[in-house]
Amino acid sequence: MTGAQTEGRSIEAAQDGIVAELGGIDDLMEKYEHLIRLGRELRVPGPDIRRDEHSVAGCQSRVWIRTELRDGRLHIAADSDATITRGIIALLLRVFDGRTPDEILATELRVFEATGLQAQLSPARANGLVAMVRRIRQEAAAATGG
Amino acid sequence: MTERLGRLSTRELRDRLGDGAAQVVDARPIDAWNGWRLRGEPRGGHIPGARALPAKWSGYLDWIEIVRSKGIRPDREVVLYGYDEDEIARVAERFRGAGYERLAAYDGFMAEWSPDEALPLDRLARHEHLVPASWLADRLPAGGGAADGGLVLCHAHYRNRGDYEKGHIPGALPLDTLLLESPETWNRRSPDEVREALLGLGITAGSTVVLYGRYSFPDNRDPFPGSSAGQLAAFRCAFIMLWAGVRDVRVLNGGFQSWTDAGLEVSTEEPQARPASEFGADVPGAPELAADLPEAKEILASPDANLVSVRSWPEYIGEVSGYNYIEKTGRIPGSVFGNCGSDAYHMENYRNLDHTTREYHEIAAAWESAGITPDRRNAFYCGTGWRGSEAFFNAWLMGWPRVAVYDGGWFEWSSDPANPFETGVPPGHAA
Repeated sequence: MTGAQTEGRSIEAAQDGIVAELGGIDDLMEKYEHLIRLGRELRVPGPDIRRDEHSVAGCQSRVWIRTELRDGRLHIAADSDATITRGIIALLLRVFDGRTPDEILATELRVFEATGLQAQLSPARANGLVAMVRRIRQEAAAATGG
Repeated sequence: MTERLGRLSTRELRDRLGDGAAQVVDARPIDAWNGWRLRGEPRGGHIPGARALPAKWSGYLDWIEIVRSKGIRPDREVVLYGYDEDEIARVAERFRGAGYERLAAYDGFMAEWSPDEALPLDRLARHEHLVPASWLADRLPAGGGAADGGLVLCHAHYRNRGDYEKGHIPGALPLDTLLLESPETWNRRSPDEVREALLGLGITAGSTVVLYGRYSFPDNRDPFPGSSAGQLAAFRCAFIMLWAGVRDVRVLNGGFQSWTDAGLEVSTEEPQARPASEFGADVPGAPELAADLPEAKEILASPDANLVSVRSWPEYIGEVSGYNYIEKTGRIPGSVFGNCGSDAYHMENYRNLDHTTREYHEIAAAWESAGITPDRRNAFYCGTGWRGSEAFFNAWLMGWPRVAVYDGGWFEWSSDPANPFETGVPPGHAA
């Protein structure tokens, strides 16, 4: 069983898909609105995720990430109080949700640089992205006992 | 781009300011808004009421979120001014792309507004102590080596020399906060220890010191999150140096981020410190800038003083202590909330999205709603004094006359079981 967000595609195919979808949008407002749409469409878990134990500090907005290892795969649920951050979460989940911890740890996350998002987000929000990725990797490492 | 914008004359802008109809936006760098005369204009500062929205930020995808957070609305006219056409055009383009149609340009700032003494300008009272990267770059010796002419540049960090070694501003000396604060109490060290540490760096009472740090994603799950909160460390060192009696202490606005954003050179060479032998004044030279436990208790009992908790909401209501080395949770009864942001290593509510210091009007307005006003004695505290120091430095930049850091903070307060504490949402606060 693969994660709900990854739709059976490999990590690399998921990354290629995101680059194709976002990399071609030059207009910043259009790109922003694309992220907002993704954020609105993100299937968010219930309100019980919004607990301190799941919160990720260092994001401009509040972010919660909860993971669960099932059948050897890391299932990730995440939420934010900011729609743009939920859009970023949607992209992260396409890459990481439902993968094995080893896959997550072995993957070089290239979508944010390749789509320009890393450079185009304000430093504070780009920091939040780093914090979220780090949390997912930490959870993956913990799931492998590492 | 700006040819399609309506133009306002100086008189028209004055009239609009008078009736409060326009939303005025300053497209110049944040330091110009603060008061720096970056292009040699006769008077520095911003047109009263103008919101800072530097053209630099127009490159951010999430720009519109900044605009909304400042309450700039599309149904009212937006008047843009800057140093030049280019700045105005870049910001106007973003406004247009976001559906703002009522835009106008004022291009008379340099030629008419700044030179005319009769026209008002606002500025951050001590803006010279919050320096732009360009000012610092002009003062560093070409080819590296320690800064000269009485200027000492310090790259602040906490037990993280690697943060300095991987790249720093040329001429900067590494400054571990442990040199200035004690790892037992996390308070400033004794006057003798601080004096010796400063002399070792070549700092005397008459030096100009510039401090900065690098923000590198502190995570509260790390064993030493403070090691990644370099700009917060810089504010901490700035407070201790002001207290010690260094008369000209400055912080690089935005820290290392501003330096690299400006495309300036980064070095991995460590210059030799040039130790000094005489500090030139008694230490501490400004003891009133620090409040210790007895004074903190007096402040709590005083009708015209505040003990300001510069902590996050989960810390303030006692859900978390905020630190992996502090067990007790809660707040000092009677303290007022000076909300820092997300956690013990972040100051989002005091900074812009590029880590520069937020518009001082915005900070002062948030403080005022909590009863933190310049007529009172305000002592800022947090867990061990870093966030308290950044908030203190902001108030000091604003020229507030009676500000201090309550150095001991929650760490000291909570370590004595005889001291009272509270948890939960205080009466009168929205949860």
